Formats: sequence, structure tokens, C-alpha cells
Amino acid sequence: MALVRIEGDDLVVVIEGLDKLWALKSSLTIPLANVRGATADPGIASEPKGLRAPGTHAPGVITAGTFHLDGERVFWDVKDPSKAVVVELADERYARLVVQVDDPRATVALVENALR
Amino acid sequence: MPMGRPRAFDEDEAVRAAVGLFGGRAYDGVSVDDLVNHLGVHRNSLYKTFGSKRGLYLVALRRHLADDVGPLVDALAAAPDVATALRLMADADLGLLLLAAVDRAPADDEVATEVTSALAALDQAVAAALGVPADLASAITAAALGLRLRGDPEEAGAALARRLDPTT
Repeated sequence: MALVRIEGDDLVVVIEGLDKLWALKSSLTIPLANVRGATADPGIASEPKGLRAPGTHAPGVITAGTFHLDGERVFWDVKDPSKAVVVELADERYARLVVQVDDPRATVALVENALR
Repeated sequence: MPMGRPRAFDEDEAVRAAVGLFGGRAYDGVSVDDLVNHLGVHRNSLYKTFGSKRGLYLVALRRHLADDVGPLVDALAAAPDVATALRLMADADLGLLLLAAVDRAPADDEVATEVTSALAALDQAVAAALGVPADLASAITAAALGLRLRGDPEEAGAALARRLDPTT
């Protein structure tokens, strides 16, 4: 699970609980200027995720860490695909973040409103 | 959009397909899976190109306004009478505009701005073509859109045209 919040001009994603072990990250801070949007996307978890390096991928259990797909680096922290939110970035180490949040609709609104 | 590596999909066609999808179903009823399946776009490309589902929605809405509402505004500007104006507004493809007005505009101020200015353009075209004051033109547009919603009960459009077009 991840907590997504806005702090000033930054988007802050905090990885909670044991997930931070699997994901090898406890938080990510991204300037809002480099955030292109957020989308609730339960279906993304059933797509190929690419090569894991580093992190954990136990299919059907947890997808966490850094994955490489089609030349892009994607950060994952998802156990329950129905709560997956995709945050698209620009000019960042990661092309996008795919994180599980408590309330996808509220998270999408939070991020999209911060970008307007 | 800067020229770079050619995209692996036809962005123009994808946006046009998104107009159809978003115009036929409420925003929350269109999933990213639906978009991926109907637009011929890989998920990664969709995110890379449009940033988010909302980003694509805004592009699709603006495309609908340019492709479908724009020509209606031009046609209305040449309408000789109320009956013609009502018929033009009844026949035009306004699916996404009308759905956006009820579904997304209340929740999204960028959508609300687009919808408001599109409706204002219809009002102005009707006012200029028929030589009526702005408030009456807005009433005619509102009636035309209401008739679409209600399916023209009791031939209400014809009754309105008879009342407003004294010579017909």
C-alpha cells in the first residue's frame, strides 16, 4: 500500500508497512511539474510488467519494486489490483508509478486537482 | 507536439475512437481496459501520450468540439429560421458535449469551461443568424438541447418554431 499526498509543489508517495522491504523504497518525492496525471487502472496488473530489477514479483501476491518494460522504468507496489493507481511522470527516473492506494478515486482527484 | 520517434499508433484515429467511447458512456463507465481495447493503443503508449485517462478525455472533448460542434456552429450561422436551427441542433452529433455537461462538468472545471464556451458559441450563432437578442437565442438553444433529451414530445419543436417563425 502507498500513501499519496501533496506537499507544497511535490507529490509524495510513501510506501507503507512491509511493502517498503519488497519495493526497496520507503518514499518517492516528485515535483508536481514532472507529474502528468493519475488514473485508476485495475486492469494494468494483468499486463506484462517486464523485467524486475530490483524488487519482488510473486505473481498473484505482490508486485513491488522497479520493473523495466519497453525501455521504460516503472515503479510498482501493488497487491490488490482493484486499487491500483497509475501516476505518469516526465523527466524522472521512473516513467510511471503503479501503486496501490486505499481510495483510488480520491487519490486520482487529489493528483489531478493539484495539476490544474 | 514535437516531432520525435514516430508513435506506434495513429493518434488521430485513437482520439476519434475515444470521442465515440466517452460520448456513449459515463466517464466512470469507461475503463482503461476499454480504451486499450477500442483505441488500438498499448497501455504504455496511452499513458505516455495522454498522461492519464482524464488527459485523454480532455483531448477527446476538444476534438469533439472542433470536429462536430464547430461545423454545427457554422451551419447555425446560416440558418434562416428557428425551424432550421432546431433541426440542425437535433441532427448534429453532440453526444460527448451533452454527456460532458451532465457527467463531468460539475466535477471538473476544465471540462466545465469547454462545455460553457461551446454552448455560448451555439447561442451566439443562433442570435446572429436569426437576428434575435442573446437571451432569446439562449432559450432557443436550451429548448433544442432539451428536445434532444426528451425526444421531441408532442412535436414540441414544431410548435416552438411556429410560435417564433411567424411566416411559417
